[in-house]
Amino acid sequence: MKKLPHIRCLLTCLGLGLCGMLLSACGDGGSGVTLRIWAHQGQEAENRAMREIVAAFNEAHAEDGIRAEIEFFPDHQYSERIAAGAAAGDLPDVMDLDGPTLAGYVDAGLLAPLDAYFSEAELADFLPTVIAQGTIQERLYALGAFESALVLYYDREMLARAGITPPDEDRPWSWDDFLAACAALKDAGLDPISLHMDESADEWYTYAFSPVIWSAGGSLMDPETGRFEGVLNAPENIEALRQWQRLFVLDYADNAPVEPNPFGVGKTAMDWSGHWMARSHLEAKGEALGAAPLPVIGDHRAAASGSWAWAMLSTSDRPDAAAKFLRWVVSTENGIVPIVRANGAVPARHSAFEAFPEYEEIPYRLFKQQLTEHGRPRPQTPHYPALTRNFAEALRDIANGADPAETLARAAKQAQTVADR
Amino acid sequence: MKKIRHTAQKNPDARTAWGFLAPALVLLGLFVLWPTLRALFWSFTDADLLRPQQAQPQGTANYSDLLNDPRFRQAFFNTALFALMVVPVQTVFAFFLALWVNRPEAYWRWLRTVFFVPVVVSLPVLAILWTLLYQPVRGEEMGLINALITGIGLPGQRWLRDPNLALPALAFMSVWQGAGFQMLIFLAGLQNLNSETLEAARIDGAGSWQRLRFVILPAMKNSIIFVVTATLILSFRLFAQPYLMTGGGPDGRTRSLIQFIYETTFQDRNLGLASAGVILFLFIVAFLTLLQRLAGKEEKS
Repeated sequence: MKKLPHIRCLLTCLGLGLCGMLLSACGDGGSGVTLRIWAHQGQEAENRAMREIVAAFNEAHAEDGIRAEIEFFPDHQYSERIAAGAAAGDLPDVMDLDGPTLAGYVDAGLLAPLDAYFSEAELADFLPTVIAQGTIQERLYALGAFESALVLYYDREMLARAGITPPDEDRPWSWDDFLAACAALKDAGLDPISLHMDESADEWYTYAFSPVIWSAGGSLMDPETGRFEGVLNAPENIEALRQWQRLFVLDYADNAPVEPNPFGVGKTAMDWSGHWMARSHLEAKGEALGAAPLPVIGDHRAAASGSWAWAMLSTSDRPDAAAKFLRWVVSTENGIVPIVRANGAVPARHSAFEAFPEYEEIPYRLFKQQLTEHGRPRPQTPHYPALTRNFAEALRDIANGADPAETLARAAKQAQTVADR
Repeated sequence: MKKIRHTAQKNPDARTAWGFLAPALVLLGLFVLWPTLRALFWSFTDADLLRPQQAQPQGTANYSDLLNDPRFRQAFFNTALFALMVVPVQTVFAFFLALWVNRPEAYWRWLRTVFFVPVVVSLPVLAILWTLLYQPVRGEEMGLINALITGIGLPGQRWLRDPNLALPALAFMSVWQGAGFQMLIFLAGLQNLNSETLEAARIDGAGSWQRLRFVILPAMKNSIIFVVTATLILSFRLFAQPYLMTGGGPDGRTRSLIQFIYETTFQDRNLGLASAGVILFLFIVAFLTLLQRLAGKEEKS
């Protein structure tokens, strides 16, 4: 008999809990649709801009009863959060994702195609690299609001001091020109080039140095068969990385730098870096800042590209509302202009460049030109994480003095093993 | 179960005991036993991280894949080598630290705190610090360790980038980082020592070496067994230092078992294979712990 009060208490608790769940369920359905949005955490200004974009969306759609709620997750936890959500059946309606991870999510069936929600005319307004990155097997799954670009920044005054003619904006240096310039700079007592080998994130290596391999006519993966072995370690790749290795062997580039921005602080004459450094380099160098396409080994031109993009989850039970949100964040006026103002990336749509007069100038002009004419996405494969991990590891080892042929063969084999399982 | 209920009905104390145990048992079951069983189940399937519901059984394929995978074997070898370097060095080092600071005056207590500080500082912070300490020589610039070494006329080393030096360099840093914890356990053991026995030994004419060998060491046996076991398990859990300082390189020579499991789960999405790795990892650690317990018991008898 003593037990009774306990049981009653328990039942009350359960009852209250159930009521709570029912109430919250009613709240969701009654007043309209609440969209769940997930995004990676960027810098503070970027997050603030993103919140304002969401607030503007909510204001514009108050009458339709659509509301979006955004949650941010730190970069390094983001893919783990998505995996946990997928396992638990707890995914948002719309999320952003890093371009190269797209194929994996499509392969797992997490994403819904977007083709139906955008007209051909609208898609023609996007940079070709944005469309290429978002398209898997001829269906569009993701659209970004911005792009990335990688160039060779240089200090005109330092180059002049070493008696070097700067590279042409339209025609990159050959690798021999590049090495000769490095030698002259070193002779002039300068540090020739910064390659940011301190980056602990693997993606920098694949992003930054795939263009070296592409320029030699190589690739990381066979796009038809999806194979790595025999492709990643093809002779042209080995030769390309042998050339790249000379930058370290001849001590033109620092293999273990402490200073994150040696070019900006005036220690180094050239910088192999991305659009994200444009503002600070312009501030540091002013008129002396020059920019050129990355030096090439063969005569193939291919520029790095790729960035975060928005996708819709196949599990969303309100795809029309989700599509409205997605269209909003990649629209020129409501999505792209405010986010690009905040993060300084390259706008994803041609029509957005009007809002950014700096794209008439160097280095911005070069970003746009490279992406429209030579941009190439990284390989699209569900096994991209294994590819980029092994390739990045190989690059670090090669920079360290390891034999390119052996190292690439091992990387290709290890990535292939993962893909074959 | 039947037996439990039976005794519970007969003995009200037992019922109370189970009542008090229940929260801990529920938590243990929920957060240790259940995930372990899930991992065991997944290790026999082809589970994909993004769709584990669709996992298909595939027998012991994951286990044979693992044992044939040179990357896994290398990760196991690296971790074992790391443990082999860390466990004896750290135990002996911590023991002598404890002997050294085991004095009543206040400033010795302050020194104890100093030695314990690295244990409480977060590993990522220490990883950055030691990456700077290990900086290779380039022109005029070098890390403090190379500055010391070149100062006495030896050639500077590329500590974290030399395939033969990277793992020992990480082990050295880990000993420095972790020894404070073991020192504390030894200190607790030392302070439980019967001072009369030590006094008697001294009166009997035992020198400090003899007191250590015949009085202190035997009395400290339990602390030593605990410290060795705990250090072994902790060193098998190696992850943060190589992940942050070397990324598992050079030549994969610092990739740890945990890093392999992490990469297989979250990058390769191969939950089945990663689970098999987890189960093997559990077995290895359990086996080593058991081995030590047996060794400890044998000496006792």
